Amino acid sequence: MAEKRRVGVEIMCDSKSAKADGDKEFLSQTGVSALLRGALLKLLESRPEDPVGFLAEHFGHLSSEADDGGAEHQSVSRALWHLSLAHHSQRSAFNNNVRVAYELLTQGVPRRLSGGVHGRLYSEMLRCLCSEGGLSGSTAAPLLRRIQSHDYEAVPFELFRQGVLTCAVFADYIRKSQCLYAAVASAPDRPAERTLCQAVLSTLREALETADGTDVARYLEASAKISPAKVAQAMAEAHPRAQRQDGPTMDAQEFEDAAAALFIARVRIVT
Amino acid sequence: MSAKAVSCTIKSPVALQIGDVVSDSSRPGVYITDITLAEPVNIQEISFKNYYTAYLTVRLQRREDGSSSKWVTCLRNYCLMSNPHAEAGSHDYFSIYRQQMSTEPDNVTTVRLILRQPSSEWLNFSIQEINIYPCAKEDSERDVPVWLSTLTPVDEPLDLNGLPDPETVSSSIQQMWALTEMMQASQTAASIGRFDVEGSYDVKLLSYT
Repeated sequence: MAEKRRVGVEIMCDSKSAKADGDKEFLSQTGVSALLRGALLKLLESRPEDPVGFLAEHFGHLSSEADDGGAEHQSVSRALWHLSLAHHSQRSAFNNNVRVAYELLTQGVPRRLSGGVHGRLYSEMLRCLCSEGGLSGSTAAPLLRRIQSHDYEAVPFELFRQGVLTCAVFADYIRKSQCLYAAVASAPDRPAERTLCQAVLSTLREALETADGTDVARYLEASAKISPAKVAQAMAEAHPRAQRQDGPTMDAQEFEDAAAALFIARVRIVT
Repeated sequence: MSAKAVSCTIKSPVALQIGDVVSDSSRPGVYITDITLAEPVNIQEISFKNYYTAYLTVRLQRREDGSSSKWVTCLRNYCLMSNPHAEAGSHDYFSIYRQQMSTEPDNVTTVRLILRQPSSEWLNFSIQEINIYPCAKEDSERDVPVWLSTLTPVDEPLDLNGLPDPETVSSSIQQMWALTEMMQASQTAASIGRFDVEGSYDVKLLSYT
């Protein structure tokens, strides 16, 4: 085999098929075609705005993985990078990335724990995820208290996936609540009326508390509670015409905390 | 309406004849069938299959107030076969509704069917597959969920002057609700096993944390 390859490389002007054979064997031996295929698949999954930069990062990560075997802080940052590739709404791509991140973190520890990811790494991952999602420390703290693990514990894959998904969804939720506050406030620079904020939050709470029935019945009932007509009615009742002057206000942070509390109350505590 | 038939006991028909039943060889032209009901019923419908009966009279025994029963005729000589000598209507299915009855069939305990067939053509006549259907009760209808009944918009237009746009607000709330529901749906029952000691709970650990 080696002879043939040398021949193919040296005698360049010779038959083209020989050269092609040599090239093909070279590619298959080094596994470059598989590498490129994986890189292209990742590119298609994440569809970044800067494809070249993305590819550069991808190969950079691969090479550092090959070199180190992974120091711990690097494995966390690499896992974070993988998780940032797909939004949680792209379900299958997101799940793939979670799996890759999990593998990275479980092999990063020199003494492999049988249960899963090292608790300290898991907690650090969640903290970084929250801060990358734009959440302040104080907003994320109650959520992290519920889902993070002790340093000595081992986190299995299902729990890891659930924690990561919860942080990603929470980041989106807080962004949405900021949009909601902006919609409720009459002007960008003035805070929103307290009664209006409370009416809006209680509509959301009622929809979330729709309890009984099958899933479909619950969803229908909850969506009936948050239809535009219902919301308009709630707001008009909370803020009648006669009192539409300056009343007590609620600032953005308080609104955000109240909305966050609604979400966090429904997060299962890890035991 | 698919109301279920009331359970009833149908007695065998009794022929009305002049003279001795045993010795007289002529065939009877009148049969009487009694149907007793287990409890007083408000009748909505009586359905049956005819077998060569020409005329039908229906009498009801109603439970009046004070536990006295009274017989009333609710249907007199109802024609089942337009020509008693011919086949028309001889095997038909009939339903008699309460609107056709001359008295209200309420609190009925017994139904008496008087069958007449004046023609001598037919050897036998009767009616079969008798079913009595009660009135559908108001509360037996399936309850409409509360939220469905409040879906229709309010008659008077709401004064939304100075209020934020409900469409925008509602859309944000909907997305927040959907995100929370998604998070809840993805919760697993997986656990770290924080309180597990060799697969079972340790009481001391539970009390410390």
